[in-house]
Amino acid sequence: MNKLQIDIGSTYFKTNANGELNQYFRNFDISIYDDLQNKCSQLLSNYTKDEVSICSSANGGLSTLIIGVTTLFSLKYATNIAFNSGINIIDTILYSKIEEANTPTDVIDVVIVVGGIDGIKSKFDEKLINYLKDVNYQNIVYVGNKENRDFLNKNIDDLVILQNIIGDKLQVVEDELKEYLTNLYQADITGKEDIKKLYEITSNQIYSTPYIVNNALPKLKTLFDVADPFLVIDVGGATTDIHYSTDLVENKNIMTSSGYDRLVFKKLGVFKSRESLVFGAKSNEFVYELLDYLGVNEHILDEHSDEATVVLMQLAIFLVLYQVSKNHNDYVTLKLEILNSIVLTGGISKVLSDGDIDKIIKFFYKKILNYIEIPNIITDRNYEIWTLGIEEIYNAE
Amino acid sequence: MRVVTGVVGNDIHVVANRLIEISLKERGFEVFNLGVNTYLEEFIDAVIETDADLLLISSLNGEAEGWSRDLLFLKSRYDLDGVIFAIGGNLSVGEATQEELVPKYKAYGFDLVFHQVDLNEGLDSIEEALKANQKVEA
Amino acid sequence: MPSRFQREREIITKTPYTDSFDFDEIKEFITGASKNLFISHKFKNSNKILVQPRGGFPTYDKVFELYGEFTSAGVDILPLTIDSNTRLNDYEMAKKMLALSEENDENMLNGYPLVNHGYRTTRKMVTHYDTPISLRHGTPDARLLIEVALASGIFEIEGGPITYLLPYSKNFPLDKAFLYWKYVERVCAEYSELNEPINRESFGPLSATLQPPAIVIVIQLLEMLLSLEEGVKSFSVSFSQTGSMSQDIVSSNVIKKMAKKYAEKIGCGDAEIHLVYHQWMGAFPRNKEFSDSLINTSTVIAAMIRADKMITKTRDESFGIPTKEVNAAAVKNTQYTLNMLRGLPIISDEEEEENLSEMVDDIMEAVMNDPADTLWRKVFNSIKNGFIDIPFSPHIINNGEAITVRDKNYNIRFYERGNVPISDKCLAFERSKVDLCGKSLVEHIIDDIGIML
Repeated sequence: MNKLQIDIGSTYFKTNANGELNQYFRNFDISIYDDLQNKCSQLLSNYTKDEVSICSSANGGLSTLIIGVTTLFSLKYATNIAFNSGINIIDTILYSKIEEANTPTDVIDVVIVVGGIDGIKSKFDEKLINYLKDVNYQNIVYVGNKENRDFLNKNIDDLVILQNIIGDKLQVVEDELKEYLTNLYQADITGKEDIKKLYEITSNQIYSTPYIVNNALPKLKTLFDVADPFLVIDVGGATTDIHYSTDLVENKNIMTSSGYDRLVFKKLGVFKSRESLVFGAKSNEFVYELLDYLGVNEHILDEHSDEATVVLMQLAIFLVLYQVSKNHNDYVTLKLEILNSIVLTGGISKVLSDGDIDKIIKFFYKKILNYIEIPNIITDRNYEIWTLGIEEIYNAE
Repeated sequence: MRVVTGVVGNDIHVVANRLIEISLKERGFEVFNLGVNTYLEEFIDAVIETDADLLLISSLNGEAEGWSRDLLFLKSRYDLDGVIFAIGGNLSVGEATQEELVPKYKAYGFDLVFHQVDLNEGLDSIEEALKANQKVEA
Repeated sequence: MPSRFQREREIITKTPYTDSFDFDEIKEFITGASKNLFISHKFKNSNKILVQPRGGFPTYDKVFELYGEFTSAGVDILPLTIDSNTRLNDYEMAKKMLALSEENDENMLNGYPLVNHGYRTTRKMVTHYDTPISLRHGTPDARLLIEVALASGIFEIEGGPITYLLPYSKNFPLDKAFLYWKYVERVCAEYSELNEPINRESFGPLSATLQPPAIVIVIQLLEMLLSLEEGVKSFSVSFSQTGSMSQDIVSSNVIKKMAKKYAEKIGCGDAEIHLVYHQWMGAFPRNKEFSDSLINTSTVIAAMIRADKMITKTRDESFGIPTKEVNAAAVKNTQYTLNMLRGLPIISDEEEEENLSEMVDDIMEAVMNDPADTLWRKVFNSIKNGFIDIPFSPHIINNGEAITVRDKNYNIRFYERGNVPISDKCLAFERSKVDLCGKSLVEHIIDDIGIML
């Protein structure tokens, strides 16, 4: 069958016309639709609306503010569900510190409030209401204990109330919140004027890119020589996504039914988030040693050259691995010592050579884990993960 | 009365952990058992999420000391007034008496300390402490 | 182009931590391997209970000596116990500890790091002794380990996604364990076509503390079915001494009957099913003479229940890892006792067997009625919702609501069923046997756990 697949990213868009791949740098001065028409009018004219499928991460992902009463239950559970629902930007506030918390300056797409098992006294009071007064948000959802529902409902306009995500054995209960966030994300993508217009060229539903990638993971071994447990790293222009096999997680207190979880490093990208990437790199204690090992000096971080892009991408890989390693206490720690494969995808696969990638991963394993051997590395140079994911979805329909 | 319990650190004494859970339930507690191999942070966070009246940590392999040192710091992050913190089991790697260990663990932030004390005796004194606590609050 | 599964095997085995795999050579080796290496062959051609100890050391030389000791003691099946770093897939750490063990002549690992030793080396030892070897590990992700084992000539693989996970791990994801064991079953099935079948064995002792026979049997049946449906042709179900001789007899009669019934149900009636009995797996007395007596009693029970294989303990059980001499002496003693136990009558207890069968069928029915489309997913869901509940499992997915106690004859009974779907009638039968004798439940359980002390 005749098929055209299009992925709209924050920096590039790419097309797969019956297996033939092309990639275009986005022109931010015009709309996505016009950009697409300008660059691919010939291509588009060859396909009917039902032959075109589109996914997008160009909305930048939804931004979320999670307010919860503890780090390891409320905030962790909500964060896990949010990432797996495709949310990119997550800020968290521990409720006991809410009076000292800053008010976000940007508009928040959705605020999630969570805390406490059912059957105990309320967890949230006036402090929450006062804090929210200054927050500019589009949606707000409450997934904490039953006892607090009435109070919050009375005091917060348009509050959506869903099932408590903390069960009576302190286990995660993900279904309702996951569905809500996934729908919200979907609505956001198709609600953006820019994307909405794309329905003029496709009659299929437009999906979010992370959703597509997650769908491909269980079948990844049909594409590549990859074995579980694995890690997929997608270094993009604005964010870096990783998807990881759940058996890599240290101290897991979440038991979900999906074999892969997702995590996003929101300020780790080589174009839009370049500044914060450089800042993050400079504050890492290993970075000067790393630059030395790569045979460059720190000035390269301020240059705008092809060589600088290569180094930035290498740094991004290093920082991602570092942040999920035991050296860094964060939302999740992965047992990188049992990793079988690392898959690299996204813009990075068009820039880095096998040697560049090998070099940085070797450095990480040697320096951070004190391991001589490294997992096998696969680079998804032709965006096959995306193609597989999109096919999985349309086949399922 | 709600109680959070579990075994701290790299300790895998499942049987003891489960027996404590059953004992607590027999005495009418609502029990949240975090199981073996639990980190201190997780205990504290579970107390918050469940509004527990009591945290009962057990340690059988003598490793509790290393894990307990951060307790005061962790307690300071939340309002945990009125929650009783208890620890019991085998609290020392070498030879040590209850008299030596109690002040040490109290300094770490525990209200009740049971070193090699019979389970039932320990639970009796916990219940007494909870009763006294309620009176104060009332 | 090799099949997708073969490609997956190539990735799994392509690791710097073990020899480079030559699958053609391995196939050739298995095809021409001595029949004596196959326990499945030995089961067919032996008319006694096979005796197998436990044991493993870090270095090649120490295992070689251990096997020598076992062989002179008249062992039937040799064990190969794997170290805990390997069980957790940390081959780098195993490598470091192996090097230290070799340099300092000290055991820095609690077993044999088979992956690091590699199959070419290990095979020399295996073929030298020309005796079946059983792989004992406890690994949720055993893909690489069993590849190395089978390539070495180790043709019995113990374990399973449930029995090697729920008693040992707090949070390894169960869904992954099922998928990793599916790989194991498929490799075993493929190699089974070359020579005698590879035998798979489930690990019935579970957490070895007051395990209700109904749960043990259900798990044995499910792991058997998961294995047979992938094409395995020789499988051993197992359980450990409960502490009640009559309950062991009842369990053995029910498990044999049920294994046959359920294997036939999925069209795998042609597979050979064996019964393995574990000598007492609970806490051992510190008095070594009592331990000897316990081991002898276990041996008598193994004979009573007509087990196909028995796994032995030693008189030093409560003192840590036994020396090779003590371990071999236990084998010799067990063989001596077994030799006296010939031509025993078959005993049964109809009422008890009916009650146990009913409980097993009730649970199995609930598992099979789960709407999932694959057996492993049905089992996964059944564990998650507490239909299958293992007392004293550390795993966070285990429901942990079922409570068991002993009756006055030391039979293990359900006291609380939690979510385990046994009928009210069966629960009433179980509870009618129990008398706490004025003690608290916990005091009773503590006594029940310590019956052999």
